[in-house]
Amino acid sequence: MAHAQHAAAPAILQEVKPAVVPRAVLVQNNRSFAWITDKICGIIEGKTPTWWWVCFIVACFVASFTVAGITYLVATGVGVWGHRSPVNWGWPIVNFVFWIGIGHAGTLISAILCLLRQKWRTSINRAAEAMTIFAVVCAGIFPVFHVGRVWYAWFLFPLPNSNLIWQNFRSPLEWDVFAVSTYGTVSVLFWYVGLIPDLAVLRDRFYATGNKTRSFLYGLFAMGWRGSNRHWSNYEMAYLILAGIATPLVLSVHTIVSFDFAVSLIPGWHTTIFPPYFVAGAIFSGFGMVLTLMLPLRAIYHLEDLITQYHIDCMCKITLATGTMVGYAYAMEFFIAWYSANPYEGFTFINRAFGPYAWAYWIMITCNVVTPQLFWFKRVRTNTTLVWVLSIFVNVGMWFERFVIICTSLTRDFLPSSWGYFSPTIVDIFTFFGTFGVFSVLFLLFIRFLPIMPMAEIKAVTQQADVHSGSDHH
Amino acid sequence: MSTPAASAPVHSTAALAQKALVIGLAGIVLTALGILVSGPQAVAYSWLVGISYWTAIAIGMLLMVLIHHIFDASWSVVLRRQLEHGLSAFKWLALLFLPLVLATLFYRLDLVWPWMNPAHALAGHETVAGDILYTKKSSFLNLKTFIGMTALFFVVWIWLSARLRKASFTQDADGDVKWTRMNRVTAAMGLPLAALTLTFAAIYWIKSLEYHWFSTMYGVWFFANCFRGALSVSVLIMLWLWRRGDYKGILNNNHLHSVGQLMLALTVFWAYVTFSQYFLIWNANLPEETFWYNLREYGDWWGTGLVILFGHFVVPFLLLLSYRFKVTHRTIRRIALWILAVILIDLCYNILPAIKDAAGHPKPFLSFNLLWVLTSVIGVGGICCWSYFRSFPTAKLIPIRDPRINECLTHHE
Repeated sequence: MAHAQHAAAPAILQEVKPAVVPRAVLVQNNRSFAWITDKICGIIEGKTPTWWWVCFIVACFVASFTVAGITYLVATGVGVWGHRSPVNWGWPIVNFVFWIGIGHAGTLISAILCLLRQKWRTSINRAAEAMTIFAVVCAGIFPVFHVGRVWYAWFLFPLPNSNLIWQNFRSPLEWDVFAVSTYGTVSVLFWYVGLIPDLAVLRDRFYATGNKTRSFLYGLFAMGWRGSNRHWSNYEMAYLILAGIATPLVLSVHTIVSFDFAVSLIPGWHTTIFPPYFVAGAIFSGFGMVLTLMLPLRAIYHLEDLITQYHIDCMCKITLATGTMVGYAYAMEFFIAWYSANPYEGFTFINRAFGPYAWAYWIMITCNVVTPQLFWFKRVRTNTTLVWVLSIFVNVGMWFERFVIICTSLTRDFLPSSWGYFSPTIVDIFTFFGTFGVFSVLFLLFIRFLPIMPMAEIKAVTQQADVHSGSDHH
Repeated sequence: MSTPAASAPVHSTAALAQKALVIGLAGIVLTALGILVSGPQAVAYSWLVGISYWTAIAIGMLLMVLIHHIFDASWSVVLRRQLEHGLSAFKWLALLFLPLVLATLFYRLDLVWPWMNPAHALAGHETVAGDILYTKKSSFLNLKTFIGMTALFFVVWIWLSARLRKASFTQDADGDVKWTRMNRVTAAMGLPLAALTLTFAAIYWIKSLEYHWFSTMYGVWFFANCFRGALSVSVLIMLWLWRRGDYKGILNNNHLHSVGQLMLALTVFWAYVTFSQYFLIWNANLPEETFWYNLREYGDWWGTGLVILFGHFVVPFLLLLSYRFKVTHRTIRRIALWILAVILIDLCYNILPAIKDAAGHPKPFLSFNLLWVLTSVIGVGGICCWSYFRSFPTAKLIPIRDPRINECLTHHE
C-alpha cells in the first residue's frame, strides 16, 4: 500500500461525483488571522469590564462560604459535617465526585478529540482545560479537609514518617490520591504547553505597546518561544504525547472514583458497569459545565464567529450521547438488580425510585436522561438560551446522581435497625456552595489574564489555512 | 433492498460466492454429522458459538456503519460500502439460528439453555422450577420470551441494515442528498436500538446459560467484541480488495492506519471492560458472582483464560502501538486474524463451560468437541461470506455519490 498514491487511478474514480453537503465552517465570516489575534488578545488587553468586577466580587463572596466552612471545620472537628451512622460518607464525597467529574470534559475535548482529529475542539479546548484544573482544585478541597487535622493530609502519600504509618494500598481511596494528583499534574502541563505560543503573542503585543511589566511576565512563562519551525515541531510532538498520556488518565481517574464504591459489597454500589458508567457520566457533566460557561462568554465577548452554532451543536450531541449512555447504565443497573434475584439489590433500587429519596432519584432521571433528549431537536440546539438552561439541568442532575448513589445505599443498608436519613448540616451546605465561588474566581481570573482560546490552533482550522480551500476535490 | 449498479465492479465475485457457499454447506453438514459422534448437546453448544461469533461480527459492522453516519465521517466512506455488503448476512444468520430453537422445541427443552426446561435437574436434587433464583426471573427467562426476543433482535438488525443499504446503494444512482440524511436518521435511532438489542442478545444467548450469574457489564463486553471483530474483518476485506486490484488508487496507508488506531482503541477498551468486570467480582468475593469465574479456573479453562488475557489484550496492544505494523499488509493482516481467533476463544470461554460433567465441572476446552466449534464457525462463516459475495456486485465498488467520497479518497493524517 506504500505505493498506493502512485497506482493507476481505477475507472470507478471517473464516476465519482459527490452529492453536495457542505461542511460547517469552524470560523465564520472568513475571519483573518489578524482578526482572530486581535479578538482574543483584546479580551486581555482591554479595560477590565464592569461586569467582570461585579462577578468577581460576587464570586469572592460566595467563595468565602467555603473558607468559612473549612475554617470552622478545622477549628472544631469533622463532627460539624453531617456524617452520622449509617451515612459516614456523605456530602463531601458527593461533592468530590461531582467536581472531579466536571473536569473530565476538559481532558476529553483537549486530548481525546485531539487524537480523534476533531477540529471543532479548537475554539473551546482552552477554556475547557482551565475548567478541568479549577474543578480538580474544588474537588480536592473535600478529601483534603475530611481528614479533619488537615496538617496531616500528607499522610495520604506514602512518605516515610516517624510513626511507620503506611497507607492501605488496597483501598481505592488511596488509589484516588495517585490518580487525581497525576491527573491534576498532567492537566496543568497539558494546559500550559498549549498556552505557550499564545503567551508569546501576548508578550510581543505588550512589548509593542510599551507595557514592559506584563510583557516580562508573559515572556517568562512563554519560555523564549519564537515560533520557529523547530519550536513548532517540538510543540506539536509534546502536545500529542501529552494527549496520549491524558487519554488513559481521564479514563483511569473516574474509573478509580467508581471503584471507591464498586469494590465494596454495598447494594447499589457493587456493580460491574460502574467504571464505564462513571466515565460517561463524568464526560456528560463536564460538557454540561462547558456549555454553562461558554455560552455566556460567547454572548458577552461576541465570539459567535469562533464559537459557532456548529460547535454548540457538537457539544449538545455529545451531551445527548453521554446522557443516553448514562441512561443505559441506569436501566442496566435496575434490570440486573431484578435479574440477579438478590433481595438486597432489588430493594436498593426500588428504594431509590420510591423510597425517602425518590425526589432526588427522579430529579436525577429527569435531568440526566429525559431533558437531554431535547437535544435531538435542531430547534432546541439552535436556541442558545434553552441550551444554557438545559446545561444547568445537566449540572444539577449529575450532582443528584452522586447524592442518590451514595445516600440511598448507605441510609438503608442490610440492618433495618440502623436505617436513617441523611441531612447535610449548614456547614456542609456552606462549604459546597462556596466551591462555586472558588471555581468562579479562578475562571474569572483565567478569562481576564489568559487567552481563552488557542489562537494558533483556531487559525489552523480557518478556510484560509486550508490548502484545499476553494476546491471541492481535494 | 439494493439497486443494481450501472456497471459491474472490476472483478466478479460469483466464483467466490459459490466457493463460500460450498464451504459453508460443508461446514454445516460436518457439524450435523458431529451429532452422531459427540451427541446433540456438544454440537448445539458449538453451533451457538458459531452463530454468536458471526452475529457479533455482523453487529459490529452495523455499529460501524451507524457510527460512520452519526459522525458524518469521511475517511471510512469507501470501507462503509464493504460493511454494507456484510450487513446482508443478518437474514441468513436469523435462519441459521433456527436449528437451535427447533432443537429446543422438538428435541429437548434444556438442550442448550437449562432454564427452558422446568424439570431440568440441578445439583442438590433440585429442579429449575423449584429454584428460587429462576422463579424470580422466570418472566424474563422462558421459552416464549426467548423466541420472541430473538426474533425481535433479528428484525431490528435486518430492518436497520435494509434501510442503510437501500439509502446508500440508491444514492449511487441518483446522488440525492436525502439518502445521506435518511442514513443519519437511521443512525440516530439505530444506535440506541443496536445497543439494547446486542445487550439483550448477549444476556439471552450467552449469559443466561448460567442463569444464576449476573453482571451489568456483560452487554458492554459483548459490544467490545462485536466492534473488534468487525474492525478485523474490515482489515481483511480492505487487503483482499487491494490484492485483487479493486482498491488500488482508492485506498492509501492512512485508511489502514485509521482502522488500526480504532483496533488499538477497542483493544484497550475490551481490556478495560473485561478487567473491570473480573476485578470487581474478584475483589468483592461474593459466591453468587465468583462461581462463574471459579468454573473457568477448572482444568484447561484456567489456561484458556490466560490465553485470552495475553492474546486478546497484551499481544495485539503491543503490536498495534506500532505505526509500521498498522500499515504493513502482512502484519496488520496477521494481527486481524489473531484478534478474530481470540474473539472466538473468548466466546468459547463464555459459552462452553456451561456444559458440565456429572460432577458439575465444566468439560475441558481442548477436546474432540472443539472440532464442532470449528466446523460451526466455518459453516456459519461460509454462509456469511457467500452473502457478502452475493451482495458485492449489486452496488458500485465505492459510494461514488457520497458527499464525503472525495475527502475519503484523499484521506490524510
